[in-house]
Amino acid sequence: MDFEPTPYNIPLGFLYWLIVTGFGTIVVLVVTLLALLITRGTKGFGDFLNLLSSAALDIVQISPRRVGAITRLTFLEAIRRRALLVFVVFAILFMFAGWFLSGGTLVPDFQVKLYVSFVLRAIAWLVLPVALLLSCWGIPEDIKQRSLHTVVTKPVRRLEVVLGRMLGFGLINTLVLLVMAVAGYVWLQQQIDEKARPELTCRRPVFGQLTFLDREGKPAATGINVGDIWEYRSYIEGATRARAIWKFAGIDESALNKDGELILENRFSAFRSHKGQMGRSLLYQLVFVNPETGLRVGTQLRQVAEFRGRTDAIPRTLPKAGEAIGGKITEEAGETVDLINDLVSPSGELVVEAVCIDPGQYMGMARPDLFIRTPDGSFLAGYAKSILGLAMMVLLIVFLGVAASTFLKGPVATLLTFCLVLVGMTAREFMMTIVSGRFEGGGPIESVYRIVLHMNPTQELPTGIAFQSMHLMDLAIRQFVWLIFQIIPNFDYFNMAPYLANGFDVSFNASVLPSIAVTLAFFLPCLLLGYFCLRVRELEAK
Amino acid sequence: MSTSGSAAEPVIEIRNLTKVYRDFWGRRKVRAVNSLSLDVKKGEVFGLLGPNGSGKTTTIKMLLGLLFPTEGEISILGRPATDVAKNERIGYLPEESYLYRFLTAEETLDFYGRLFDMPASVRKERTEKLLSLVKITHARKRQLKEYSKGMTRRIGLAQALINDPDLVLLDEPTSGLDPLGNRDMKDLILQLKEQGKTVLMCSHLLADVQDVCDRIAILYGGELKVLGRVDELLKSRDETQILTSKLSDDAINEVRAVLQKHGASLNQIDHPTSNLEDLFLKTVQESVERPGHRVIMDDTTRSRGA
Ligand SMILES: Nc1ncnc2c1ncn2[C@@H]1O[C@H](COP(=O)(O)OP(=O)(O)OP(=O)(O)O)[C@@H](O)[C@H]1O
Ligand SMILES: [Mg+2]
Repeated sequence: MDFEPTPYNIPLGFLYWLIVTGFGTIVVLVVTLLALLITRGTKGFGDFLNLLSSAALDIVQISPRRVGAITRLTFLEAIRRRALLVFVVFAILFMFAGWFLSGGTLVPDFQVKLYVSFVLRAIAWLVLPVALLLSCWGIPEDIKQRSLHTVVTKPVRRLEVVLGRMLGFGLINTLVLLVMAVAGYVWLQQQIDEKARPELTCRRPVFGQLTFLDREGKPAATGINVGDIWEYRSYIEGATRARAIWKFAGIDESALNKDGELILENRFSAFRSHKGQMGRSLLYQLVFVNPETGLRVGTQLRQVAEFRGRTDAIPRTLPKAGEAIGGKITEEAGETVDLINDLVSPSGELVVEAVCIDPGQYMGMARPDLFIRTPDGSFLAGYAKSILGLAMMVLLIVFLGVAASTFLKGPVATLLTFCLVLVGMTAREFMMTIVSGRFEGGGPIESVYRIVLHMNPTQELPTGIAFQSMHLMDLAIRQFVWLIFQIIPNFDYFNMAPYLANGFDVSFNASVLPSIAVTLAFFLPCLLLGYFCLRVRELEAK
Repeated sequence: MSTSGSAAEPVIEIRNLTKVYRDFWGRRKVRAVNSLSLDVKKGEVFGLLGPNGSGKTTTIKMLLGLLFPTEGEISILGRPATDVAKNERIGYLPEESYLYRFLTAEETLDFYGRLFDMPASVRKERTEKLLSLVKITHARKRQLKEYSKGMTRRIGLAQALINDPDLVLLDEPTSGLDPLGNRDMKDLILQLKEQGKTVLMCSHLLADVQDVCDRIAILYGGELKVLGRVDELLKSRDETQILTSKLSDDAINEVRAVLQKHGASLNQIDHPTSNLEDLFLKTVQESVERPGHRVIMDDTTRSRGA
């Protein structure tokens, strides 16, 4: 699995959302005030207050018809200027792509992975330039041609101009995206081999919490490291008391598939200290434990499917078997247990223990390596969610582009927006490392101190008031820089391809919701910035 | 022509208006308008004249809030120039028709109608009326990029009148129009005047200005050089032209002698062309020769200035 599913904290997310929106708005206000003070001297402050009060008035007086007129104009402009030639590029790309992606020889799930991520990536990278160019060139061109002169001498508010442009470009790009999405879907359905079709699905995993028991049966946070320090799995030794224990929550009958089976999917890996038995892989047993009653029921032995993973269907009614001892399972004749009623606690908790059977061999796992696969969602729904994510990305680019184009010329606005997008897609993580203070040598002031004194970053700093206040200042600076970095949107959220390509449903909480939130967070600051710029600048092309 | 008395309320008040264009780095480039003061009163047709680059368009753009004055105050329809609400009652025909070239004539008028928040039925009605007024009904479904210059001008005019404005600002309304269109434009301006609307126009066609304007101002290098009622300005020249039937040389000598007796000299014998063109040319020439000279024959501004 390529990603570590992390639970998403909605209240915390909302708080961040508020911070980002609020901070963005404040930045816009401060920048406007500074610009006014610089250009108009002390009169600038009065101008700023005027601007604020008229902004409030303009917001109240927004007329849907006027905004609609600008939106419609934007739409017609894009269509009549044949900005949509990109479709042709897209079509050609898809026609030829089939040749280069020699998917026929690939194993099914890899073929699906390749094709799905290709389609989603192609759509993203094709709609990106359309969104960038359209939104960054619209207003500058309008100013250059002076057609905006005729518009703003009508009672239309400049706020409405910016809003109408944003909506118009948003609409046209969403349309472009939708057409591409449909084409991409059809292409996928045609190109993917018959045998790989079942892999076009949206698994809905329920992940649990993983803990371990060591070979003596004592609780441990991790298993054994088999020597590869970069390996993120840890291992349990076979035929000992070592266990990997997953605790799932929120389990009830809805987790079962239509045949009444609980599907457990795993990607255990194997590490052998001897050749072992030829002709079969390592054996493992899954043991279900009711965390309330302590009832333990072992299931039959299964072989580890290395590198590919396997799904185990556990019937709802299980023979009341025990754990394997010496590779043999003791069964209490005739007795059965009900998976949901007997093994899931009333609060919906279920514990699954994985045991390695073969002595002297090791079985490796990480948290996402075992999950309950609740009934799959349709691939189409997951695909639609991924497209929704891209739509949010496109909208965000449009907001940023339109805002930038109110004070910059077309090419410069394009460049600026593109840089924001690139940084947001790639370098953001690196920058967040800086601000998170996880760097050796401390924050900016501490680093300067160390540099001046030629002090090794590993050397402990002396303690004292001075150093404490230094740390405090570093913290403040870091927090401030953190805020500044929030101006660079996190484009990770928009990329839902990894979910879909790996056959997973797109998580609403962890991906769809944040992507909508990011875009919305930038809407108000961008709108205000664009509005202020159009208000304080003369509409002459310089 | 019915004249509006000086008691009429000013629709446009300009006080000490100055505009300095600056380049990207904030360095001064051009002083396009230099402490200009004038009033335009309700119901009059006011002509803003001046050679190329004398600051007429700049003044109009400042009136509309497209440019910000470097100094001075503007009140238009009783509001500051940056107030958008004033635009409800204003029609503006830019120097060149800055329209969206990908829209058809119909769509153009509909679009601007929407900006006035007009409901669809009103928009439709106004569009029909204006298309026939400016005589481009036959080309209503064609995109403006296919239009000739005069046709673009006509649709530009239609767009300026979409809201039935009280104040119309026309920047060179007749440029690019054929003689017929020119005639129509003059009629239209007089018609607007009859309806009690105020018109401020710039033009280089002085004969037309003389026909339609009540008052004019002549700018030179951004400064006001002449301001007053057209008829008075043309009357009160410090020269007299005597028009007679053809005179013999002897008769001319006799006339000269008579003039000498009265302390006047005979400067020129010419056909009577005392018209705005003369005034204009003279103003321009004088502005070069005597930079400080001004002819202000405007009671309101004068009394205000005093
Ligand atoms: N955007 C601008 N940037 C810099 N200077 C400008 C700009 N627009 C006009 N000017 C200058 O301002 C002065 C007045 O120009 P303006 O357009 O107002 O003249 P005008 O009276 O309308 O002339 P015309 O009769 O040719 O239309 C000119 O010297 C011109 O070069
Ligand atoms: Mg001009």
